[in-house]
Amino acid sequence: MFNRQMLGLSLIACSTLAGATNTEIFRDRVAPILTKNCASCHSVGAPASNLSVATLDALLAGGKHGPAINPGDAAHSLLLQYVRGEKTPAMPLGGKLAPETVAELTAAINAMTPLPMLTRKRDPHMDWLLRKPVMPAVPTVQRASWVVNPIDAFVLARLEAKGLAPAPPADRRALVRRVYFDLIGLPPTPNEVQAFAADTAPDAYGKLVDKLLADPRYGERWARHWLDLVRFAESDGFAIDGERPTAWRYRDYVIRAFNRDKPYDLFVKEQLAGDEITDKRAKAEDKPERAVALGYLRMGTWEADANFKTQLRQDFLNEITTTTGQVFLGFTVGCARCHDHKYDPIPQKDFYRLQAFFAATRTDDRPAPFLDVEHPSERKAEFRRFEDEAEVTGDAAKKFDEELKKKFASDHSKNDFGKAIKDTKNPAFTADERKKWESLHDAARRAKESVPRYLPLAYSVSDVVPPQVPAVADTFVLGGGELSGKGEKVEPGFLSSVTGKSEPAVIPFSGEGSGRREALAEWIASADNPLTARVIMNRIWQHHFGEGIVRTPSDFGINGDRPSHPELLDWLALEFIEKGWSVKAIHRLMLTSNAYQQASESPELQKASAADPDNRLLWRANWHRLEAEVLRDSLLAVSGRLQSESGGPGVYLDIPADVAGGFEFFKWFPSDEKSQLRRTIYTFQRRSVAMPMIETFDGANMSESCSRRNATTVAPQAFSLLNSEFTNSEAKHFAERVIELAGPDRERQTEESFLLVLGRKPTEAEKRKTAEVLANLSSREALTRLGVVLFNSNEFLYLE
Amino acid sequence: MNFDFARRQFLYQSLTGVGGLALLNLLNRDLSAANVETVNPLAPRQPHHAAKAKSCIFLTMLGGVSQVDTFDPKPALTQFDNTVMDWSKEKNTDQPNLFAKPRLLLKSPFTFAKYGQSGMDVSSLFPHVATCVDDMAFVRSVQAENGNHPAAVFLMNTGSVIPGRPSMGAWLTFGLGTENQNLPAFVVLPDFRSIPFSGSQQWGSGFLPASYQGTVLRWKGEPIHDLKPPAEVTSDLQTRELELLRAYNHDFLQKHLTNPDLQGRMDAYELAYRMQSEVPGALDMSKESEATKESYGLNDTTTESFGKRCLMARQLVEKGVRFVQLYTPSQSWDGHTDIAKNHEKNAKETDQPIAALLKDLKQRGLLDSTLVVWMGEFGRTPDNLAEQRATAGRDHNTRAMTIWFAGGGIKPGALVGATDDLGFKAVQDIYRLRDVHATVLHLMGLNDMRLTYYSAGRNMRLTDTGGRVIQQVLA
Repeated sequence: MFNRQMLGLSLIACSTLAGATNTEIFRDRVAPILTKNCASCHSVGAPASNLSVATLDALLAGGKHGPAINPGDAAHSLLLQYVRGEKTPAMPLGGKLAPETVAELTAAINAMTPLPMLTRKRDPHMDWLLRKPVMPAVPTVQRASWVVNPIDAFVLARLEAKGLAPAPPADRRALVRRVYFDLIGLPPTPNEVQAFAADTAPDAYGKLVDKLLADPRYGERWARHWLDLVRFAESDGFAIDGERPTAWRYRDYVIRAFNRDKPYDLFVKEQLAGDEITDKRAKAEDKPERAVALGYLRMGTWEADANFKTQLRQDFLNEITTTTGQVFLGFTVGCARCHDHKYDPIPQKDFYRLQAFFAATRTDDRPAPFLDVEHPSERKAEFRRFEDEAEVTGDAAKKFDEELKKKFASDHSKNDFGKAIKDTKNPAFTADERKKWESLHDAARRAKESVPRYLPLAYSVSDVVPPQVPAVADTFVLGGGELSGKGEKVEPGFLSSVTGKSEPAVIPFSGEGSGRREALAEWIASADNPLTARVIMNRIWQHHFGEGIVRTPSDFGINGDRPSHPELLDWLALEFIEKGWSVKAIHRLMLTSNAYQQASESPELQKASAADPDNRLLWRANWHRLEAEVLRDSLLAVSGRLQSESGGPGVYLDIPADVAGGFEFFKWFPSDEKSQLRRTIYTFQRRSVAMPMIETFDGANMSESCSRRNATTVAPQAFSLLNSEFTNSEAKHFAERVIELAGPDRERQTEESFLLVLGRKPTEAEKRKTAEVLANLSSREALTRLGVVLFNSNEFLYLE
Repeated sequence: MNFDFARRQFLYQSLTGVGGLALLNLLNRDLSAANVETVNPLAPRQPHHAAKAKSCIFLTMLGGVSQVDTFDPKPALTQFDNTVMDWSKEKNTDQPNLFAKPRLLLKSPFTFAKYGQSGMDVSSLFPHVATCVDDMAFVRSVQAENGNHPAAVFLMNTGSVIPGRPSMGAWLTFGLGTENQNLPAFVVLPDFRSIPFSGSQQWGSGFLPASYQGTVLRWKGEPIHDLKPPAEVTSDLQTRELELLRAYNHDFLQKHLTNPDLQGRMDAYELAYRMQSEVPGALDMSKESEATKESYGLNDTTTESFGKRCLMARQLVEKGVRFVQLYTPSQSWDGHTDIAKNHEKNAKETDQPIAALLKDLKQRGLLDSTLVVWMGEFGRTPDNLAEQRATAGRDHNTRAMTIWFAGGGIKPGALVGATDDLGFKAVQDIYRLRDVHATVLHLMGLNDMRLTYYSAGRNMRLTDTGGRVIQQVLA
């Protein structure tokens, strides 16, 4: 007895040691049964319930009910549950497997090695997330009249389940302001407010939404959200923080993409693999644009003077892998760089498999002729102008150097000239000479630095192509994330927890690159990817509604937030794909819903806030504090000075010298005044020079992906908005504009001021108070102060 | 939600907060709002344990100070001056370029002596600081982990080489709030000849709310951006502006009691208004005696910049500011060539001001409640590339640096750790930067493992997976 047991144990041990892989077990023990009993319905082509039993991977990928088997755990495998009749309809349909066949299937699946992520405790959230969305039924609600589209049905169903009611509609003024700031990032003019308030046609609001979506300022507003995500900047960061002279073309590409409603799947593919994709919609003549789109891959920081180039390259690969996981997949894959992800089902190996898609990629400034929309002839003219200017100013500086050196050389060594001219204590030069020297050199430097901004180049990447690929692109798991911890070699592969496979991805042949990024792009931008569409739907929802359905928009994983309306998110994702990945179609759906048009105050405040204090169920609209850029642009708009010019190299704003000065490797030369009045999205984004106003109002950190802006209230914001030269100067122009519009009557002026900034007339009490406080001042002075006050008012900064 | 509680909370905030002008109306009004409380992110908070220091002054020596020329004498260097070193066995993967070629040891150009009752070694670079050693604690065995300036400065300030993480000062004010609501909680005093790499990111709040970011005060001219309105805005005009703003905001608040930010912003304007008068007073140099100014070196152009900022630091901690960080110019201590000249210049600019600061704090009874930390981003090598022998400089060294602490909770005259005979590598009681962070937090009453903030999928810490408090420097 004892011996037999021993023998049994050793036999089991042997069979395990023999190391039958899951594939072998499938081939030898599972496939014969399935082929005989199931394949007539569940085979490739159009399998029933979308489940094919042809391969192990097909079983793991599963059908519409999820993965068919759970290796190592027959009890939790759908396949077994159906053949045992635990789930209906029992399989095979109309038949029954012999008990010994079921036993063999059970034993075979139990003998399989569990997949890494499935050994963890099952989490219903991850089951939902990692499975392709299934079109949910639109819920029926009691108050059907409130439902204008399915969004409302999903929102109302949850409210009704809690015994809550949505808030009444926002008033026309609040609504028109909300939708203007939301879509174009600027306030409506008094006439626009008036016109909308007066238009009682039932489709007035829908028309307004369509008008704003067609407005080119829409792209300028919404591109900013994307630039936050992709850590857009026009300099390297680190010590040198060198300029990326043509990075502005990526910014303009994003603006165009939003304005033209580029299908999101194509938008994704262009940024990941614009050089490789074979998508029919990617036209040959737009090739330069796709080279620009690839700039996404280079937007991270770059330590140009790093001593260790291998490490620098590894940092680049880590950064792009991490960012891609966050931006497109809403997954914090970066945690898996050093070890298996502590929370999400991402083994360390998956991080490096994902990284391997980028392993053949190298940084490259690609030739990319300017597109027609980029005004090629103007760019060329600018290029020539600066080139000439650089030559002239360069010569002038050189000539003056010679002059000074001649004078200097008599009693000093030549080498010290550079030091002596900068040392104000050195008696060799007069103050005037120094001043002239500096201004000549500044002029030369400014012209010289301007030249490359107009070169027809894309700040881009390219792949090392065969036959060199393998040598360059070999990717290894790095223990602890360190180069010294080189471990197992890996091939490009998708996240195993999503695909259920751990096999290498199939890399297509590609004309221009290694084809690796194309494979990744096709997987990410696919209707079958359970994450991509949900993640972008959630981001758009977040901007419209104040919070995402998942409030951690770049972390959908176990440690992230749980969705407030998972079915709604699934519905949106599928609707989005159905509508050809059209972002504008989704804007229209969300904005025309009654859920969006609610007031920010609810008559049921007490009850609703007790039941749902965070307003996750949307029983009222959330407040929005104007973002930094919107605030600056809006001040310029109401002062009447905002310039509408679009595109082109970044504008250098006047920035205090203690922020913009004192750098060893670059000097900050402000642009002309008119250019400085352009929208903030067109201002030059240097990583080490944050605009003080943008920074204090929680602008995006330019070094890491930013998925959600803070909306803090701190004292330096008051200094910035109350006392800055910018505010006071715009207030003066505002005063002039008001006088022009309203004439000399003080009361009319106050009315016009309120209309311009807040879109409404002042109350009697406000008029009285204003007249009282601003008494004894000239119109100009009074209106300037009134402008400053209105710019600082909560009603302006916070949108209902 | 308990309504009475929420209402009380709101009223309490209105009463204690400065924006209490809505109060009169509210008291007679049935407040139907639930979550209307205003949370001041900088209100003082209970520490995790009893704090030894209330404030911290962090003296940042950018560029990396040579330990063997300052506080860690190595007689062997003199003995073996000019000797070829072979570091190949050291497997120094950090800076292979530097260590692949032959190197020569370089003796210190400075002389050392023992000072104070503790008999601390100090080189001739720091004659003034040498007179304070009995109030200081030295750690000779800190390792920096990264030998590139930008990454190393980020590591020193934020615990991470990735730009954009919250800085130490942000973590401290996040954990503790601040005692003076009329001044910023975290003040940065850079040298505008050249500010640190990445500028404001070095004192940023990263993923923490922006309330915790450092506020830069300038030592010349206006101490804060836009603190005062443009010249044409007289105080009469500004008073009118604020009165009108209060009135508009008040009316708006009445209609929208559910939005807590509205009251928060009104409070922020009142704080700004108070700062406008408090900041110039807090930093009023005319209140300082000539002797004080002289001691800080304000009358000498060499010491003026660092001296003025040391004096400002004392004034600020006197007023309850939580964290003050001073910077020498970017890469100032980076003596790759002519270490003698480089270190002499930097020591001259900082030695007298630092000693004056320590003595001034002590004399005013502030040293017990103020932690002073002095360090750079890494140490320097005891040798130099043979081919650059003539330049007599020292390179970056991640293997050893000396840092010092003084003040609140510090054991006076303590000496921790040791390097090898050449000062190349820490060999005893080795500590990393995160251990320094843990020590600073500990002295300020915070446990580095408990000071967390959820971001990017996990609870983040200044010390990442945790640091070790340097117990030997604790009193």
